[in-house]
Amino acid sequence: MRTHARLAALAVTCAVAAAAAHAEITIGVTLGTTGPGSSLGIPYKNAFQLVPKTLGGEPVRYIILDDESKPDNAAKNARKFVTEDKVDAIMGSNGVPSAVAMTQVAAESATPMVSLTPVPPLAPERNRWTFVVPQPTQLMMSAVAQHMKARGVKTVGFIGFSDTWGDLVYNAVNALSASNGYKLVTNERFGRADPSVTGQVLKITAAAPDAVVVGGSGSPAATPQIALRERGYKGPIYHNHGTVNRPFIQTGKKSAEGAIAPTGALIVAEELPESFPTRAVSLDFVKRYEAAFGAGSRNAFAGYSWDGVALLDAAAKVALKKAKPGTPAFRAALRDALENVKDVIGTHGVYNMSPANHNGLDERARVLVQVVNGEWRLLK
Amino acid sequence: MRAQAVLAAALLLATAAAPLALPEFYVTLLNYIGLATLVTLGLVVMTGVAGIVSFGQQAFVGIAAYATAGLTTLAGLSPWAGLVASLAATAASALLLGAVTLRLSGHYLAIATIAWGVAIYYLFGNLPLLGQYSGIDNVPPVSLGGWAIDSGRESYYLIWTFTAAALVAERNLLASRLGRAIRALRFRAVMAESCGVDTASLKLLVFVHAALLAGLAGWLHAHFLRFVSPHAFGINAGIDYLFMAVIGGAAEVWGALVGASIMTILKEWLKDWLPAFSQRSGNYETVVFGVLMLLLLHRARDGLAPVLARLLPEGARQRPAQVAAPAREAPPPAGTVLLEVHGLGKRFGGLVAVRDLSFAMNAGEILGLIGPNGAGKTTVFNLVGGALAADEGEVRLKGSRIDRLPSREIARRGLRRTFQQVHLVSRMSVLDNVAIGAHLRGGRGALAAMLRAERDEERTLLSEAARALDRVGLGEHLFEPAGSLPLGSQRAVEIARALAGDPQVLLLDEPAAGLRYGEKRALAALLDRLRAEGLGILLVEHDMEFVMGLADRLVVMDFGEKLAEGLPDEVRRDPAVIEAYLGGEAGDRGQKNLKPETGS
Amino acid sequence: MSADIVLWLVQDGITTGAIYALLALALLLVFAVTRIIFVPQGEFVSYAALSLGMLQTGQTPGTVWVLIAGGAIVAVLEGASALARREPARLARILAVYVAGPLAIAALARWGAAHALGLWAQMAIVAALVVPLGPLLYRIAYRPLADASVLVLFIVSMAAHYVLSGLGLVIFGGEGLRTNPISEARFDVGVLKIGAQSVWVAGASLVCMIALWLFFEHTLVGKALRATAINRVGARLAGIPAGLTGSIAFVLAAAIGAASGVLISPIATIYYDSGLMISLKGFVGAILGGMASYPLAALGALGVGLIESFSSFWASALKETIVFTLIIPVLLWRSLASRHPAVEDEEE
Repeated sequence: MRTHARLAALAVTCAVAAAAAHAEITIGVTLGTTGPGSSLGIPYKNAFQLVPKTLGGEPVRYIILDDESKPDNAAKNARKFVTEDKVDAIMGSNGVPSAVAMTQVAAESATPMVSLTPVPPLAPERNRWTFVVPQPTQLMMSAVAQHMKARGVKTVGFIGFSDTWGDLVYNAVNALSASNGYKLVTNERFGRADPSVTGQVLKITAAAPDAVVVGGSGSPAATPQIALRERGYKGPIYHNHGTVNRPFIQTGKKSAEGAIAPTGALIVAEELPESFPTRAVSLDFVKRYEAAFGAGSRNAFAGYSWDGVALLDAAAKVALKKAKPGTPAFRAALRDALENVKDVIGTHGVYNMSPANHNGLDERARVLVQVVNGEWRLLK
Repeated sequence: MRAQAVLAAALLLATAAAPLALPEFYVTLLNYIGLATLVTLGLVVMTGVAGIVSFGQQAFVGIAAYATAGLTTLAGLSPWAGLVASLAATAASALLLGAVTLRLSGHYLAIATIAWGVAIYYLFGNLPLLGQYSGIDNVPPVSLGGWAIDSGRESYYLIWTFTAAALVAERNLLASRLGRAIRALRFRAVMAESCGVDTASLKLLVFVHAALLAGLAGWLHAHFLRFVSPHAFGINAGIDYLFMAVIGGAAEVWGALVGASIMTILKEWLKDWLPAFSQRSGNYETVVFGVLMLLLLHRARDGLAPVLARLLPEGARQRPAQVAAPAREAPPPAGTVLLEVHGLGKRFGGLVAVRDLSFAMNAGEILGLIGPNGAGKTTVFNLVGGALAADEGEVRLKGSRIDRLPSREIARRGLRRTFQQVHLVSRMSVLDNVAIGAHLRGGRGALAAMLRAERDEERTLLSEAARALDRVGLGEHLFEPAGSLPLGSQRAVEIARALAGDPQVLLLDEPAAGLRYGEKRALAALLDRLRAEGLGILLVEHDMEFVMGLADRLVVMDFGEKLAEGLPDEVRRDPAVIEAYLGGEAGDRGQKNLKPETGS
Repeated sequence: MSADIVLWLVQDGITTGAIYALLALALLLVFAVTRIIFVPQGEFVSYAALSLGMLQTGQTPGTVWVLIAGGAIVAVLEGASALARREPARLARILAVYVAGPLAIAALARWGAAHALGLWAQMAIVAALVVPLGPLLYRIAYRPLADASVLVLFIVSMAAHYVLSGLGLVIFGGEGLRTNPISEARFDVGVLKIGAQSVWVAGASLVCMIALWLFFEHTLVGKALRATAINRVGARLAGIPAGLTGSIAFVLAAAIGAASGVLISPIATIYYDSGLMISLKGFVGAILGGMASYPLAALGALGVGLIESFSSFWASALKETIVFTLIIPVLLWRSLASRHPAVEDEEE
């Protein structure tokens, strides 16, 4: 009986939603705010409290669902968005496998998708509908690779999460090794919540590499950082853009000092030269975010959500001229517009999309930062 | 029956029409429910009915999903070949895990399944061949004669065809000879063994078949979602499946459907509504689930299916048709030695329960085993019946040693027993309880039962069970739950169950306790008839009048040792016996009323 | 692999193994006395570690809310039963113990967060916050089901784990915390540099084990718990109330959990969901030790720590697979050692 009532309620909701569809744009967002990805998913979600209430001038409604950091849930949420909520675009998720699972739904339902995490190369029909906000891992890690090259690093030890993120960072560092003249000597893995990484670190120190790259994120990335320093490793330790937040420093304490990582410029917005293209946008965002979530709470992840919205905003302006929200025509127009956005300034960088490049960021979207006196500072 | 058939037809029609009427997301949701139902179905039979707890079903889903995804994407095989590989891989791993853990106490298996689930998650995530933590993408859809099943609505029919078939097959299984034995596994495994059920193998069968259902779900999962990644097979998924089984309930296979539906829909609902209550991110969903589970376990431990079942019309069962009894071994001629016990001994720690006990029993004889409380009579029963292993001595049945054999082997050789504290499956009908006794008289397997291809055999078994119940005077109570009968009748059911096994030796542990006068006379008449048919009956009884009037000979035990043996009149006059019973008080009085205790 | 690497790995394995050993002891204790497979034991560890971490960053630990809510639920349950039995006089005591008590502890925690207290004072506050959670959890989740089978109680444990870890994310957030160590000193022992905290962990574990042994051997309550573990019905007949022994077992378990949490938090980052893995490894240890004897369980858990340490050196990616697959051969051995398969009936 309850099911019937619910179905009836649903039918009414659908009808109302359909009638209201002309008035507003609907965006479905799925994020892993619980489960292993939650420490990233939560800041991603926080940003949606701050984003403008309009897209391209029209009112917008964001439906945010939790996918428990599981790909099949992310796909399920995405299906719900496209079939039940008739969204104009989907956004998410913060886990790579989750985002990949969503691309399938996006392609099947002809709905543009704004991925909030880097994705591996996709099949053409999926790539057509998918737009990626964050810097490709290789773009980010190339900053690290070039820095290592400049320092004359010849051997590199790797330790990363035993999950997709660890795989992704390792693959990027590995792909960059030949062109930057270093050799990877270890590929150690650890679990996010492992109490100890002594075994892995011993293996690394036994190999005595010139530098170590950590493929972790947030506070768990501090575990190998601490263990390496405790074991007396003196070489530089590089991280990736997933690590650049405050909990990493809080956890790593003194051992975190000197850690180097690539990131979007918003983390060090104040230190950027006046001429830096994203300075104004980054500063504005950091100010809003820290006003809402506390001093020092700035992080790259919330910035991706913000930039994703900025991309949709720019594209919606164009698409609204061609069709009404809630229609397949609008979704197609939104996709076309996303593919052609030019010089959209986000907190992380400047986006210039093209059919061949559905990310559109360039080297202006990354800087290297270093922990100095308990703060992430621009590495000049 | 009519109402049930109408209901079933309506349900089938609704199921078939659902994807045409519902919005697409609801079809997707139903697909998820179908997948979860398959896994939960295995758990309902395994955990709810048979009492084997597993938190590791997701591992079997994963093994199957990876097997088919790997073979179809990497080797380019057809998904149907993937199905075969999936099921083979799950069966093999379940056999291995089950063989290792099912012989141990239940909680070892439960912990082992958790450990196994964690281990396999990390294994999936680290095999480069399986795409590590990213998993395998672009899994092809199942195609049926060139028609690719790649939309949600098409998948619905594929998934629900399998799910509905599995529901029916499981229902058939539980209503079969093997099903009755499975239903005895949880609370009455000792009894089932005494009826000849190989409970260890049966548990393995149940475990493997639940794994196969999970494997089937895994295969469907891979080709419905079209990608496979380790995250769907983490330990939390295993806990969720078990929760579904507990929510739905154990008694009925429909519990799986109920549990899977409630949990899946509630999850969606919570996901929609919980954020409205709190801006703060949190695992409210798991908190709510945990609390609901606690409430359910406190208030309705049997889950929701029994509650719902009460709302449904109940079909009346027909008395099984009389079928000719299966061929039986001719009983040995009266006077042949059936049972010999020689020098039997058993210690529990420092306590000597039985010491150097010897006696023999012939065909066509009722041998009474009496003695004060704690004399060791029930221990002797357990030693002779194989429920306990003897420390010393021999037991021979028809000349061959049985003291090293498990009770199911002893049952196969023609010995049956009843239990002092009744061992009935209280929720099962009287007829089904008695039919367990006839377990060894059938031989068809699980597959035949699922397909209802064993109906001839089943008719024979039920007919035999009904016949045995007629003999103990319970022919009118075939379909009542055994637990609802008064205690005296429950003892009669125990005897009927033993008779349904067509034994040559019968061990009866206090069959007359709790019976009224008339019932006792009827019981005595029955035992008398059985003796005339050539059975040997070993009888433990406290009602002296009953024993003295019935037994051919008596063996008296005290403190685990044989005190006296002989004809009832000899024993009655034996000073040692009087001493034991009356603690040395003036013997004369004792001779008349050798009736020291009632009940136990 | 050189000798000094072996030494390092052994030292590392002993440190984490000591924590698993404490967990294994608590799990075995609870199982023996109540037949509960107490999966949420690990949550005491993470609650204690994260509460200490929050205190040290000047925040009131969210644990206070769990404590107050738990107390309120028990107050309602106990109050209802007191009224049902027409004993309204008990209400005052119930309110004092289950409502005023948690509120007082919460006030203490709030005050403690606002003042920069010493580490030991912070640990005492954490103990006051976490230890009462044990008996509260027992009263709410388990006692109404005290007669249920091992397997039903196991499912209850899983549900309780869901509730506690779910609340953990709400009150502590998704990021991990690491607390200040008792001492940052390091000793040179041969090639090794042993951190004082590791010595603390190993030493405190040893002290806990000895204290438990003394408790069981030389106190009346300890003997009553042992009696209950050996024969539940007999103990009840001898006048040892099952509810009370259960509560005591849970107080001890929570205390051991809290101790493990504050000990491990300076050397390992603890997350809201760290508890399950720590619990499970404690279980693996207890099973390796045969699930019967305390010293063997502690040794088994130490073994898990060592295996984990060595496998993280050899094949770090497959570490968990190795640790958790390990119990299969052990169970196989046990299975082969038992002549007859266990034919046993669950209690109805």
